[in-house]
Amino acid sequence: MKTELAPRTKVLVYGLMCVLLIPFVFPTWWMVTSSVKPISQIFAFPPDIIPRSFDFTTYGRVFELQPFAQQYWNSAYIAALVTIGTMLFSSMAGYAFARIRFPGANLLFMVVLLGLLIPSEVTIVPLFQMFLSWGMINTHWPLVLVPIFGAPSVFATFVMRQFFIALPVELEEAARVDGLGRFKIFWTIALPLARPALAAVAIFTFLHSWNLYLEPIVFLSSPDRFTLPQALTQFTDAYGGALWNVQLAAASMTALPVLIVFIIAQKQFVEGLAHTGLKG
Amino acid sequence: MASVTLTDVRKSYGATAVIHGVDVDIADGEFVVLVGPSGCGKSTLLRMVAGLETITDGEIAIGDRVVNDLEPKDRDIAMVFQNYALYPHMTVATNMGFSLEHRGTSKAQIAERVKWAADILGLEALLDRYPRQLSGGQRQRVAMGRAIVRNPQVFLFDEPLSNLDAKLRVVMRGEIKGLHQRLRTTTIYVTHDQVEAMTMADKIVVLNAGRVEQVGAPLDLYDRPANQFVAGFIGSPAMNFIGGRITPGGFVAAGVTLPLPAGLPAGERSAVYGARPEAFALAPDGLPATVTLVEPMGPETQVTLMLGEHQIIAVFRERVKARPGDTLHIRPDLEAIHLFDAETGARLN
Ligand SMILES: Nc1ncnc2c1ncn2[C@@H]1O[C@H](COP(=O)(O)OP(=O)(O)OP(=O)(O)O)[C@@H](O)[C@H]1O
Ligand SMILES: [Mg+2]
Repeated sequence: MKTELAPRTKVLVYGLMCVLLIPFVFPTWWMVTSSVKPISQIFAFPPDIIPRSFDFTTYGRVFELQPFAQQYWNSAYIAALVTIGTMLFSSMAGYAFARIRFPGANLLFMVVLLGLLIPSEVTIVPLFQMFLSWGMINTHWPLVLVPIFGAPSVFATFVMRQFFIALPVELEEAARVDGLGRFKIFWTIALPLARPALAAVAIFTFLHSWNLYLEPIVFLSSPDRFTLPQALTQFTDAYGGALWNVQLAAASMTALPVLIVFIIAQKQFVEGLAHTGLKG
Repeated sequence: MASVTLTDVRKSYGATAVIHGVDVDIADGEFVVLVGPSGCGKSTLLRMVAGLETITDGEIAIGDRVVNDLEPKDRDIAMVFQNYALYPHMTVATNMGFSLEHRGTSKAQIAERVKWAADILGLEALLDRYPRQLSGGQRQRVAMGRAIVRNPQVFLFDEPLSNLDAKLRVVMRGEIKGLHQRLRTTTIYVTHDQVEAMTMADKIVVLNAGRVEQVGAPLDLYDRPANQFVAGFIGSPAMNFIGGRITPGGFVAAGVTLPLPAGLPAGERSAVYGARPEAFALAPDGLPATVTLVEPMGPETQVTLMLGEHQIIAVFRERVKARPGDTLHIRPDLEAIHLFDAETGARLN
């Protein structure tokens, strides 16, 4: 794909892309700008694209109203654990399904995939009872364990399996001749080459965990254990009315790591793709 | 270094048998080429020697060790794959030293071995590059470097040159042969290209549909093929085959009677008359044949002729000025005539 576009087409294409960008960028822009507006101005119509006054005290109030730093940390370490755990398990499981022939492998894979079809709302009550009997209610354990062994991990396993199937098997045979055992082949050959797939898995697992809402509100009850999506619902005045600007300030801070993860993972993704240029 | 012995080796995938009992003895230091048409089981056989494929039945020994149940890493072999299988995420030097690294060789020793191999193969300047930054021929060399650093007992090559263009193939052919002459490591080399087989091998094993058709030195196979399959497979352009009957008066075929060599079993029978393109000479008292195509090659001239109702190809050392439609008189060299059984294809003379 190295076709040079004529200048006029180029202008047209870029113009069109700018227009298409608006619905994607506007909500974020609105969120960030509204977080520094007085509440009365947030719902003004037509909306002010550029706020008339900047009031950054909303960012301070986020931390007064909630143990927000603690909640931030909760979300961060849970998402990190879930991401690392999922990458580890899904790559190993995906590799096994792709490369190891064992009786019932296909059937087992189908059973695993079926897990994707069950909505989390269906399993949340039995899960609650299970974790209750394990004494894990109002701890972070369910939020770590459920995604690592649940639907997001199943999807990740599927992605990894497809990637490993496509990897030339000669590379691993060469490694076998070079003297490596199964696990070392996985660890030093297959896994490093799976960077693009791992990056994709990392992005969606992190996002899934970071945005998890149903599970925290079911499993957690004390504010200092809350995760961010749950905390965002707590910014109200004494009468239960929403403090929109404070809430949006919290939301802006919540969105920041997502942006960072995207940028890092995307770079990995592209570099990884370049790496797999096996043959020319 | 070691000998390799295959004894009645068989392979089946489920119910389909693909190797039907192969016996081959490879002497220490020998360069053996497995050659045969696509799908005949060359790669399968090589991979069984490597340990990448299980052995359904029979025995493979390297040196005096039966290796049937040994992992590839314990067989002390090195393999060069058709697509090279260089690790894309490692530099040339790491690729070459990788196997030593996993055998607990010291860093200094690895560096020394890699340098030694790079010296031999002219890779010194490329050691820090990644495989994607190399040309096809350079990748090929790195793959060979990876094989030789370890100084294994046996080298296995699976069609290593088939991804290269024709010119480079000739160059690399020479390099592999040179490498073997220098290191004298027992080598098994798989190809479907009979020119590669002829030029490189000490000994050729011709395979067809999972069976050995003939084993022998290149020129022995060329001069005395054991059957019609080997006769047709070895040599380019291929041997001419003419079907007909052996009679006391000569070989009777459609529209022509050919002279027969002496020493044939008595009695009339149907057979196939085989003559290589260079087995024909121009002779005023020879058989008349009609020219259909003349292809001057420079040192020789390739002429397509109708001999009776049979189309044959002849190659003459001299320049032939004939044109399509002309008649040439040709005489087969009786020393170089092969006769095969019409049914079994087995050699008769
Ligand atoms: N995993 C497999 N399952 C079933 N049949 C197989 C398998 N691998 C190879 N075969 C069959 O075994 C036969 C030999 O295959 P092999 O790859 O050894 O051929 P080859 O001589 O190397 O051919 P080529 O020159 O095309 O590489 C073929 O008929 C092939 O279809
Ligand atoms: Mg093959």
